[in-house]
Amino acid sequence: MPFDNDHPWNAPVARRTVLRTLGSLAAASAWPALGYAQATPRRGGVLKIAAPFNPSTLDPITGGLGSDHMVLYPVFDTLVDFEPSTLAPKPGLATAWEFPDPKTLVMTLRSGVRFHDGEPFDAAAVKANLDRARTDPRSSVKGDLQSLQAVEVLAPDRVALRLSRPDTALPLILADRAGMMSSPKAVEARGKQHDRAPVGTGPFKVDKWNDNDVVVMSRNDAYWKPGQPYLDGLVFRIITDLNTGLRSVVAGENNFAYRLNPQQQVVADRMKGKVVVSSTPTIADYHLVFNYSRAPLADVRIRKAINYAVDREAFNRVALLGLGVPAQTMLPPGYWAHDSSVDNFYTHDPDRARRLLAEAGHPNGIEIQFYGYSDQSSQQRHEIIIEHLRQAGITAKLTTASSADMYQRFMVRGEGDMLLPLWTGRPDPSQPFLLIYGENGFNNAGKVPPPPEMVAAQNESQSAVDQESRKRAFAKLERLALEHALSCELAFIPGIEAFTPNVKGYVPNLLGKPKFNDIYLAS
Amino acid sequence: MTKRQIVLLASRLVQVLPVVVLATVVIFGLLQLVPGDPAAVIAGEYATAERIAEIRHQLGLDQPLWRQYLGWLFAAMHGDLSTSLITGQPVVEEVLRRLPNTLLIVCGALMLSISVGVPLGLTAATHVDSPVDRVVTTIASLGVAVPNFWFGMILVGFFALGLGLFPTTGAASLFQDPRAAVMHAALPSVALAMGGTAEIARQLRSAMIEVLGSQYVRTLHAKGLPQSSILWRHGLKNVSLTLLTVIGLVFNRTLGATVAIEAVFAIPGTGTLVVTSATNKDFPIVQGTVFVLVMIVIGCNLLIDLLCTVLDPRVDK
Repeated sequence: MPFDNDHPWNAPVARRTVLRTLGSLAAASAWPALGYAQATPRRGGVLKIAAPFNPSTLDPITGGLGSDHMVLYPVFDTLVDFEPSTLAPKPGLATAWEFPDPKTLVMTLRSGVRFHDGEPFDAAAVKANLDRARTDPRSSVKGDLQSLQAVEVLAPDRVALRLSRPDTALPLILADRAGMMSSPKAVEARGKQHDRAPVGTGPFKVDKWNDNDVVVMSRNDAYWKPGQPYLDGLVFRIITDLNTGLRSVVAGENNFAYRLNPQQQVVADRMKGKVVVSSTPTIADYHLVFNYSRAPLADVRIRKAINYAVDREAFNRVALLGLGVPAQTMLPPGYWAHDSSVDNFYTHDPDRARRLLAEAGHPNGIEIQFYGYSDQSSQQRHEIIIEHLRQAGITAKLTTASSADMYQRFMVRGEGDMLLPLWTGRPDPSQPFLLIYGENGFNNAGKVPPPPEMVAAQNESQSAVDQESRKRAFAKLERLALEHALSCELAFIPGIEAFTPNVKGYVPNLLGKPKFNDIYLAS
Repeated sequence: MTKRQIVLLASRLVQVLPVVVLATVVIFGLLQLVPGDPAAVIAGEYATAERIAEIRHQLGLDQPLWRQYLGWLFAAMHGDLSTSLITGQPVVEEVLRRLPNTLLIVCGALMLSISVGVPLGLTAATHVDSPVDRVVTTIASLGVAVPNFWFGMILVGFFALGLGLFPTTGAASLFQDPRAAVMHAALPSVALAMGGTAEIARQLRSAMIEVLGSQYVRTLHAKGLPQSSILWRHGLKNVSLTLLTVIGLVFNRTLGATVAIEAVFAIPGTGTLVVTSATNKDFPIVQGTVFVLVMIVIGCNLLIDLLCTVLDPRVDK
């Protein structure tokens, strides 16, 4: 099967510094000679995809949902691309980049690339896009570009990013929404309408988007990768019920379904022959985030008690049918930035949890406000956690509502003590620590500044240029987050996709956000 | 149309007005009770409180409720159902694009319900307490008790996934590709028809038993009319009022049941539109769609009332 070759869990992560890798990466970018493509890809055909979510918008800068990426990737190339199995940066619309000094990032751009409307992609376009991303009032990626102060056009194919502080996370941030390049002319001419009819440089152009029904894309004949894309078009049929989406693939009406649940993998596995199932690890994990700006969770002993009370193995077994990976920190085992010495930091130990509660002055147990989402599978996860906590003397009082609502109430309004969301992961490992534990991190509900040694480690992880120093910084960050019990990480979810056997060339990625750009349909 | 019928139609139309207004108040009020803030949904995961307040202001959500309601009602009277909060698309367009898909499966279900329910009910009525009657009553009870979305999944498993006779998901336009449209609508219609079939069979059975036991039927028998003529010409005409009323009710209920069935079959209809918009707090879409559906139900009731006066002159007295 095409997705078996680079299993991130087993892959020995031998990585050199970002700077030194650049040359080899640029050399390795001889498209389309990818490792998995053994047969000659066939041209033609339309890939029909069962998509579980309607996009929020089709403009990468204004949209806000983590599920939009699957629809954005085919339309927009990113400045920096990433290796699917390791998330290591590799050339995208930028062929090379370097930090001549810690506060300047210079990027060399691919020449001869044009937007779907025929406009040239050049340094001026990059400046227009990045300026829009960091200043437009509707931008949802301002937070990602906090360190970016100014963008300077050096030459038509060279652009300099001036930073307020060293930020080595930036290249991978530009592999996400912030690095997706729209035609500045179209953005200006279409205004808000660019949300619905976007113009990028990607392999596919958007023809039609009917809300909650269908997004239709057709081949960009002038695409810069020779011979690509293989497909004539993509059709995203929005089917919110995952079971129905999977059924449509089994019946052969659609070719591809993604973001399936472990329960559905069990169903899909029984349909061998009709569907191919891809199940790979991701960096997305379920976690309990705390508001430690006030009692009771301001006391580290109580946060530790929760970490000891939770049985991560059981959570994985019941909620994810054993297909996930138990988590200690937000970086999964085997991932380049993860330090394996913390793998058994918290073990399931209800007695120890009780002792910690007693030390904290609660020998008869304690009650906390547990916030959660109201959908059925979230409820199942809550029940598991509530039962684990109960066994350690912690009573979790559950309040649920829709995810958007609860997220807002917990993160912005500061209600509740604990929330159980899915953290979808970010390309650069410094981002989760900054967003969840950082003083101004959006996901730090109490906005409590992290301990000084963590701030130092965070700065180190973003200013160190060579990979080994970054790794050491991340090891420090992981250990400090665990010692201070700033959250309770539960389990990494598997990325589960099902597709018809004629779908070839699909490579799953560690982000769990499938890219359809290189797929072809065998006859 | 007689003068009397025109007067009746006019008076019914006048009566409908307060119903429509009341319905819009209820829809509007219920949505306000739903916890959550559409501005938070639009603003996305990383929104600040200021950004949310700004969106609330842009959308007019910071206005007093009565003003929001009156503004909406005034526009709705002019055929403008506002625009989606999330996408900014006109609600009317969205509803009209999806309505044909929903009406197709509802009408299909209604035709099935009538063509199966009527013979079943008649057979049971003419064979009271026989094994045939018991089978029909059991089927009718099952039809009411079994949830249609479950039955839908069973149908998909057998006829679509197993035998590959029908598509499992989606819809097609009746005008562009009639054959595909019918094939897509077949299984959802059957699933939806189950409750209606049961309802029609049960009501028709009891109404017909009553008619067949009445004195004038005894007279018809005495006159020597054959059983079939009594049943089809005299009996059916006398139960037609009941039948018509039940059909009206079944239509309205089936329209509501599409919410679950459309999800099972991934049909881009008004049912899925209401559900997804409600979860996204896209109030204008929910309001607009429910408003259109309410109008359809009111129109259907009006039509049934008129047909009743045609069939039975006593009704309008």
